[in-house]
Amino acid sequence: MNRQRLRRWFEERYDLTEIGRLAGSKLVPSHRYEIWYYTGGIALFLFVLQFITGMVLALYYVPHFEYAYKSIADIVTKLNMGWFFRSLHHWGAQLAIAALFVHLFSALLLKSYRKPREFLWLSGFILLVISIFFGLSGYLLLWDERAFAAVKVATGGAGNLPVAGHCIKAFLRGGIDVTGETLTRFYAFHVSILPLATLFLIGIHVLLVQYHGLSVPVSLEGKSRREIPFFPNLFLKDLMIWLIMLGIVVTLATLLPPEIGKIADPLAPAPENIKPEWYFLFLFQTLKLFPGEIFGLNGETVAILLISCGICFFFLIPFFDRKSAHGQRSPFFTWIGIFYTLYFIVMTFIGFLS
Amino acid sequence: MKLFIFIILFIISAKGITWAQNTIEVFPSASYDRFIIFQTLALFWIGIIGCVIIIKMKLREIERTQKMGIYKEEKTIPLLD
Amino acid sequence: MKIDYSCVTRRTFLNTLLGGWILAFGSGTLYALCKFAFPTLGKEPDFVILKASDYLEIPVNSVKPFAWGGKLGLFFKNTKGDTFALKGVCTHMECNITYKPEAMKFYCACHKGWFDETGRNIEGPPPKPLEFFDSAIEGEKLVISRKGVKIEPPKA
Repeated sequence: MNRQRLRRWFEERYDLTEIGRLAGSKLVPSHRYEIWYYTGGIALFLFVLQFITGMVLALYYVPHFEYAYKSIADIVTKLNMGWFFRSLHHWGAQLAIAALFVHLFSALLLKSYRKPREFLWLSGFILLVISIFFGLSGYLLLWDERAFAAVKVATGGAGNLPVAGHCIKAFLRGGIDVTGETLTRFYAFHVSILPLATLFLIGIHVLLVQYHGLSVPVSLEGKSRREIPFFPNLFLKDLMIWLIMLGIVVTLATLLPPEIGKIADPLAPAPENIKPEWYFLFLFQTLKLFPGEIFGLNGETVAILLISCGICFFFLIPFFDRKSAHGQRSPFFTWIGIFYTLYFIVMTFIGFLS
Repeated sequence: MKLFIFIILFIISAKGITWAQNTIEVFPSASYDRFIIFQTLALFWIGIIGCVIIIKMKLREIERTQKMGIYKEEKTIPLLD
Repeated sequence: MKIDYSCVTRRTFLNTLLGGWILAFGSGTLYALCKFAFPTLGKEPDFVILKASDYLEIPVNSVKPFAWGGKLGLFFKNTKGDTFALKGVCTHMECNITYKPEAMKFYCACHKGWFDETGRNIEGPPPKPLEFFDSAIEGEKLVISRKGVKIEPPKA
């Protein structure tokens, strides 16, 4: 009977039946491409997982260059389940970025970015960039020699950008070199600035999805199709997928805990065979394609300029694709989408194997 | 001398040549701990699969009632005593 | 003085004033924030002083690291016994380089760049040769300075 009273208490203040009706009236299109709708949910789930594991890791991590490495060693060797939660955070991050890439390319190929969902595309893309920066900053927190060299190269690469390059590089590094200052900075990015920005953008992204509803591919638009209620049908399906994802992350974390290298030493030579994290490999491989000098210009600068142009075009693709904005098929942009997707996959594989 | 060689061989075989430098163990090394970990992992998966199966059953039930056009359970449903 | 008509209405005037004021105020505040968030940049040193006995005695065809500010410096003795000091930072992506005595070359492991004994970039992506320093011995001290920089070491 207490439940009845509690229910009444709420009903006197909030219109629960109206809320229930609203939740029940949300319909989701069901068609042969519907599987791609789940990628966003997976990414969201992995983000939540990252937030939770990150919070518990932050209870023990010491963000100072003299103690950072040791505190992680202590987390891994001395604390209860410490090795597991560090590994879980690592694998959660890998899979979250992978899920984001799948989500991104599926949105690209199904043209979900087209009018009126331009802001969904933009906010999603910025979320991906933030996530990659999350990865980079989290990597440095380990403060081992590989992370140290990787961050040196990555921030140095940003320094090759024209005009603002040096400013960005100095801002990221907190000085002219990668030092303890950089660690403090990256800690601040990783645990305060980026999470808040992420929460804000996820809020906007999810709100916009509610506002516009889920996008239906051009080829299926206008045809009669089945619609299923989001709650409870799709929600339960999402829940099943999330549970399986949790199982996969936990299994990976248990079976393949990431190694910790030697402690970073600014005076030690760079370690042999360093490779960036897999989501940087396509950039890394692209940079390798360019010679040291092109028409008397620094090859690196030219390469980074071209890559920036490519990424800018990608970012602004909803505004270039006029045809699909009017609800027509635009095979040209399908080909561009396929090109981008294949380029990313092939370059990542080449980088992985070489 | 023999002891010395033995110790060196032991260190190499225990840690593997590539990881001969003092790296940090990222996974508990005691076989007892390992056994418990793998056991827990198996239990975890059983829990997940159980959850998924129950959700699937629930989903079927919901879809069945939706096909019948019923979206809410009747309040005055008779129960078997 | 009284004018008959005005180019702007009272409303536009006030809106512009408010908007402009907020913009100016906001950008001033933001400037202060950025000024704080942006780091005060240090500078590479013009010279460092080391203990001569630690460095001059190294074997031929080897290097010994020293700290050049926050960066790596290498004191290098070639096969003929001549000594050099150089910055141990690759000119490509600023990774720390290492000396390979068997090849008598400097090597950067990040992107497989090679430099010969004189610091010339001979293979791989590095665009420029390595930076060499001047070194001088003053009694107990080994003074390593940037090329072309006149220094007066502090009396101590």
